[in-house]
Amino acid sequence: MTEYAIRITRLNYSYPDGTRALQEIDLDVRTGERVAIVGPSGAGKSTLLLHLNGVLTGSSPIKIANLNLERSNLQQIRSKVGLLFQDPNDQLFCPTVFEDIAFGPLNLGVPAEEIPARVNKALRECGLEQSIGSRSSHHLSLGERRRVSLAAVLAMEPAILGMDEPTSNLDPRNRKRLIELVSRLEVTLIVATHDLGFVLDVCSRTVVMDRGKIWADGDAQTILSDTRLMEEHGLEVPLPLKAETRP
Amino acid sequence: MRHNFIDRYSSLDSPLHTLESRTKLLAFAILIVGVLSIPTDAEAIFFSYLFAAAVLMGISQIPLGYIMKRMVVLLPFIMLAAVAAPWKGYAGFGALAVRAVLCLILLILLTNTTRFAELLCGLRRFGFPQIVVINLGFLYRYLFVLMEEAMRMKQARDCRRVGRAPLTEELRILSSMLGTLLIRSFERAERMHSAMLSRGYSGDFPVVAPRRFSWHDIVFLAGTSAFVGATIWAR
Amino acid sequence: MHIPDGFLTTRVALSLDVISAAGILFAARRARIDLSDRIIPLMGVLGAFVFAAQMLNFPVAGGTSGHLIGGSLLAILLGPMAGFLTMATVVIAQALFLQDGGLIALGANIFNIGAITCFSGYAVFRLFKGKSGRDNRLAVAGFLAGWFSSVISSAFCALQLGLSGAVPLQIGLAAIPGYHMIVGVIEGALTAGVLGFLSRVRPDLLDTNGAGRFRGADWAGALVFIGMPAVILVLAGSSSLPDPMEKLLIASQSHVAEESALSGIDFLISGTIFTLVIVTGFLLAFIWRRRSRP
Repeated sequence: MTEYAIRITRLNYSYPDGTRALQEIDLDVRTGERVAIVGPSGAGKSTLLLHLNGVLTGSSPIKIANLNLERSNLQQIRSKVGLLFQDPNDQLFCPTVFEDIAFGPLNLGVPAEEIPARVNKALRECGLEQSIGSRSSHHLSLGERRRVSLAAVLAMEPAILGMDEPTSNLDPRNRKRLIELVSRLEVTLIVATHDLGFVLDVCSRTVVMDRGKIWADGDAQTILSDTRLMEEHGLEVPLPLKAETRP
Repeated sequence: MRHNFIDRYSSLDSPLHTLESRTKLLAFAILIVGVLSIPTDAEAIFFSYLFAAAVLMGISQIPLGYIMKRMVVLLPFIMLAAVAAPWKGYAGFGALAVRAVLCLILLILLTNTTRFAELLCGLRRFGFPQIVVINLGFLYRYLFVLMEEAMRMKQARDCRRVGRAPLTEELRILSSMLGTLLIRSFERAERMHSAMLSRGYSGDFPVVAPRRFSWHDIVFLAGTSAFVGATIWAR
Repeated sequence: MHIPDGFLTTRVALSLDVISAAGILFAARRARIDLSDRIIPLMGVLGAFVFAAQMLNFPVAGGTSGHLIGGSLLAILLGPMAGFLTMATVVIAQALFLQDGGLIALGANIFNIGAITCFSGYAVFRLFKGKSGRDNRLAVAGFLAGWFSSVISSAFCALQLGLSGAVPLQIGLAAIPGYHMIVGVIEGALTAGVLGFLSRVRPDLLDTNGAGRFRGADWAGALVFIGMPAVILVLAGSSSLPDPMEKLLIASQSHVAEESALSGIDFLISGTIFTLVIVTGFLLAFIWRRRSRP
């Protein structure tokens, strides 16, 4: 029997101004799977991610780990689904790094005396020093900020991790560190990204989204090397795959 | 970009920095009230406060030049008061000016020896309304983000500008820059709210337990209270 | 005008501390702000916006620069209650970050820069905007709100300084609001400009709902809140009345206002001296700027 971490059937969503952001989305993700969502800007990738923990709610219910996402179990779902936002500045809103990482666990009702241990564990997982906790986010570099954001999400010990453009604006060294870090995580992963190299390194399955619809869904290598499909949706076959297909 | 013009010295490591934030808030408030109640003709008391301020400045390790530069904020008020001096007596004006300078030094010492996050903790413990404390936290955090955005917009404007435009044109340009910054702020707040909800936020802003009082705090608080008490008694 | 410590007597300053604290509690209650609502991060970010907006400035004349203060704009965008709470936070932050305004004088500054600008700015805006949403009405109402709120708030500042005896009432009332009548034009123009920009680009942000609703009871509360200090200040200022705090803070009487009996001539002379000092300052700054330019 296959276990599904996420089951989405015929999901529609329109913004308050009437723009149709998601149309008839079907997506099932098995537990432990690593799925990439690729597509041009404005395709609806971020909107879809925000549905995973009920920040936005569309037309039809979503199942997270066999639970129907409803108002009554929102807290429970949010403890299971962690979201990493594109801009760490949106995610790190507390005066210090420690408070930011403690924010999630405290909301979930983790007792105060267990908080420091949780925070330190999350920092360690993300390759950060414990001393960074007392600093303010605005004193950190972008790479550090992104890792602190990830630590803030991991401190909630989610089973499902949604990431929005995790590698955008990172320099090659920080990008590489993040890829190593994410590869080690034992969670169901769903990543919205333009970074197709990242997809090849981390994900086994790829979904192509454009104009609010899913156009392709399957093995990452196969989809990313399909030149026609890629170009139709404003994407490009990543370099390593180009080299392979060349005679 | 470096933003150290606000909490530049608050992470130094002087004896004043290691005190608990509530201690400092209370002690400095007592000292300021003490300064405000120095009578105009009590020179000895003025000198004892100046001495105390000098000692605290020495302990705090904050550069003297920095403290002097911050005195600028007093200028307009000193000027206004100076106009009245011929009628009200120069002694009164002098006392007023010294009191103002002393209070400002104390405020600079308080805010520059305490990290803002700790100061917030102290305010919360003193029963400040939660909505104000939460707002102060957000304000502190996003101040830097928005200032960076503002700086970039300013640079972009200055790159395209040659010479000076007439006032109405300047106002029009500045209005649309401010409007743009405002819209971005609205959008950012929207995204922050999503991020807060995603981490289980449901209306209660939790915090971890603040630092405990140590005997240093008790000594400092007792010392300042005794000092202020003595100056009032000595009159 | 952020009043530093030392210019207000302890009596004036502490009574305004109490009043402002009561005002904040009142607003927090009346605004009925649900802490889980999106307005919480919005208030915080807009507070930071007011700070950052002061960096976006342009030179006006020798030395000074024009920028936004923002009280009336926040009140128009968020509603007067949430606007006041946000401005109160901004004033506290200005004291703590930049030492702009004193610690004991915090209540006075929250009152002048927070309460007065937000409530008067919002009232003027509503009065002149009317029901029609036409653009020129919006601009006119925005301008008047910005200008008026800046002038009236400076008048309260002068009043408090006068009652404390730091600056004679006549001089203060002539100089401080007088200066703000000129500077207020920029505040008004920017408030109008930003509102005009928003109405073109994101008109949805201007129809404030929820927190923006202001009912009769709120107006009454705001009036009492603004009127209260006028009564208390007069009580605190006139030393003939018994003052319970006098026992506690014996010393404050030492520099309480001696009823400054300035004649008309004195007033004229002091006004002239003040203007001369200001003009000299401007001139010096202007010359210095000219010289420092390559």
